[in-house]
Amino acid sequence: MSDQAHIGHDLAPGDEEQHDVGTRILGYVVGLVLALLLTATSFFIAGTDLVWQPSIPVALIVLAIAQMGVHLVFFLHITTGPDNTNNVLALAFGLLVVFLVVGGTVWIMAHLNANMPPMDQIMPKPM
Amino acid sequence: MLGKLDWSAIPFDQPIPLIAGAVVLVAILAVLIWVVVKGHLPYLWNEWITSVDHKRIGVMYILLASVMLLRGGSDAIMMRIQQAIAYQSQGYLPPEHYNQIFSAHGTIMIFFVAMPFVIGLMNLVVPLQLGVRDVAFPTLNSVGFWLTATGALLVNLSLVIGEFARTGWLAFPPLSELSYSPGVGVDYYAWSLQISGVGTLVAGINLVTTVLKLRTRGMNYLRMPMFCWTTLASNLLIVAAFPILTATLAMLLLDRYLGFHFFTNEAGGNVMMFMNLIWAWGHPEVYILVLPAFGIFSEVVSTFSGKALFGYRSMVLATMAICVISFMVWLHHFFTMGAGPDVNAIFGIASMIIAVPTGVKIYNWLFTMYGGRIRFATPMLWAVGFMVTFIIGGLTGVLVAVPPADFMLHNSMFLVAHFHNVIIGGVLFGAFAGFEYWFPKAFGFRLDERWGKLAFWFTFTGFYVTFVPLYVAGMLGMTRRMQHYDVAEWRPWMIVAAVGMAMLSIGVICQIMQLVVSIRNREALRDRTGDPWDGRSLEWATSSPPPVFNFAFDPDVRGEDVYWNMKVRARQQSLEHEEPEYHDIEMPRNSPTGFVCAFFATIMGFALIWHIWWMVILGGIGAFATFVVFAWRDHDEYVIPAAEVAAIDRVNLEERRSLVSMAGAV
Repeated sequence: MSDQAHIGHDLAPGDEEQHDVGTRILGYVVGLVLALLLTATSFFIAGTDLVWQPSIPVALIVLAIAQMGVHLVFFLHITTGPDNTNNVLALAFGLLVVFLVVGGTVWIMAHLNANMPPMDQIMPKPM
Repeated sequence: MLGKLDWSAIPFDQPIPLIAGAVVLVAILAVLIWVVVKGHLPYLWNEWITSVDHKRIGVMYILLASVMLLRGGSDAIMMRIQQAIAYQSQGYLPPEHYNQIFSAHGTIMIFFVAMPFVIGLMNLVVPLQLGVRDVAFPTLNSVGFWLTATGALLVNLSLVIGEFARTGWLAFPPLSELSYSPGVGVDYYAWSLQISGVGTLVAGINLVTTVLKLRTRGMNYLRMPMFCWTTLASNLLIVAAFPILTATLAMLLLDRYLGFHFFTNEAGGNVMMFMNLIWAWGHPEVYILVLPAFGIFSEVVSTFSGKALFGYRSMVLATMAICVISFMVWLHHFFTMGAGPDVNAIFGIASMIIAVPTGVKIYNWLFTMYGGRIRFATPMLWAVGFMVTFIIGGLTGVLVAVPPADFMLHNSMFLVAHFHNVIIGGVLFGAFAGFEYWFPKAFGFRLDERWGKLAFWFTFTGFYVTFVPLYVAGMLGMTRRMQHYDVAEWRPWMIVAAVGMAMLSIGVICQIMQLVVSIRNREALRDRTGDPWDGRSLEWATSSPPPVFNFAFDPDVRGEDVYWNMKVRARQQSLEHEEPEYHDIEMPRNSPTGFVCAFFATIMGFALIWHIWWMVILGGIGAFATFVVFAWRDHDEYVIPAAEVAAIDRVNLEERRSLVSMAGAV
């Protein structure tokens, strides 16, 4: 199918033929360093008492999202460039579906027993 | 050695499945012997079974769907007869058998009729409409088809070896858990869906990639025919939703095989989580099925009205809106499970909102017909029948989307009538319309119109005679899945429904007759132009059946309704065609990977169902080895020389030119 005419030129994740090897290695090294840094920070924050304790879970969530961002940009090569529209859209659609299904499930399951009378009225407590 | 399998698995005491199984077995053997004796085996193997041609795979998908439609239809006939006679009596089907029948009917009709039918049509048509030579991953396509066939085979095996699930088509726990369904029925159900689910996912990935990445020169998104858009939306939903089904069934299987407690009553399991997850897949599934049907109707209505599709862009928008909103409504399948008014109200409103883009589509089709020169060929009859029927089904759907109304109607015959109204009126009518419309493209001759119209009228009226009584019975309080009942008021309606079922059966017989008659008269019905309906999109721009490479040249697309505009230009300018310069074409080689892979998957699935562990390992290793062999292949393409391409294409061009000049003279 080599003679197939393609529309646009967006690349599959991982196809980056326009850069030379040096630039690509640099990209991966930067990604690795950032990922390690974020991981180390997460472990450090989890056990520290240098910050206000209730903020720790929030900080961990922020670090986790940053970690995902690093992976997407440096390893999966998601960019905002015009060659990447399909990948960005696919990611957005995936995130939307995950958000709807997971969020919806949590919400539904939390309200599951709203129409149930309290259990102690149905079943007499064991003596 | 053979796990749970022994002679008691074969239901010697039940004549119905045993006789049915024997008849089918004899029929299969007869066909096999005929194929071998007549020497068709090499042809069958080389041209069909190992084929990676999207058109051939599409035809095989549709063939599988048609055969399974007969199986699922037989189940339906048995159920209607049972309910017609089981008033204050046991009827002729014992409860455990009746329960298997309604479970098998639902499972087969959704997974092995509706799904392969629409995937087959998409496979057949979408690459042609996009002006390309094949789908993105041709061998994967073959793997997907054969894995679907594996699932269908396992479901049918359950007829004579063991039993099928007695749990309904979604196998709700706790009934489907080991403590309430200790037999192999639920395992048959779950493993056949797991295996065919992989096939469906693969087909979905393939078609999404095809639409996004393989379009011919100038075919940008807003020039794609509507069917390509609905294919894109439907397959995006497959890719997003089918993993949920796989994960949910995997959890059920862990419960059953390894003593987990995801959905059990005891040890912290939550039954409702299964309902939640299965419908998070199940509702998008409804739109996976009906969106391609909408695409088919768009093509049919526009072609047979001789007009461009009205409101093309609003149609695209409506399609994509349905694609997203379909993931926001799944709770309406279990309003009654106890969620509070907040949750129910939000999902009820979302369910009503999704009717809006669907309504937009209906108006677009009506306005496409308005002022058009309508030809009532068989595909158009199905399209108009669809519009009438689907509106009624949609309205009863909006009705049950109101939670208080749903509390009255949940699990009643009203619901059964509603979803048959949308699935038969939408998906099945769409599949039949697509079948009639694209059959000449696939085989090079038209279908007989007289039998086609008879089939339509019997199916159309038969549908109403069958399912309107079910609405009434639901209103009278009849619940679904009843093996027998004692309420005198329901009885007449069940008898009318059985009469309707007989009419539907005549419709199916007419359709088989149509095929037989058309094949006999194929020389008279031959279509040499490749454009029997005066079509508008690119699939009509090549010969019927298309050559293996589809198009000798990449078509050059300059607007919507590509082929229509080409014809108009050709007539106005009375183009003198000079001989084009032909080039060599590379096409993917045929490969037995799909068939061999599915062979091992069948062994593995069967062994998993019967706990034959050594055979599971054997099947697993075999399937993996097939994949490894394929991954290390050296040659996967062959070259069709330019001279051969030229020879094939010249014939087609000649026919086409005479058509255009004839039409120009009129």
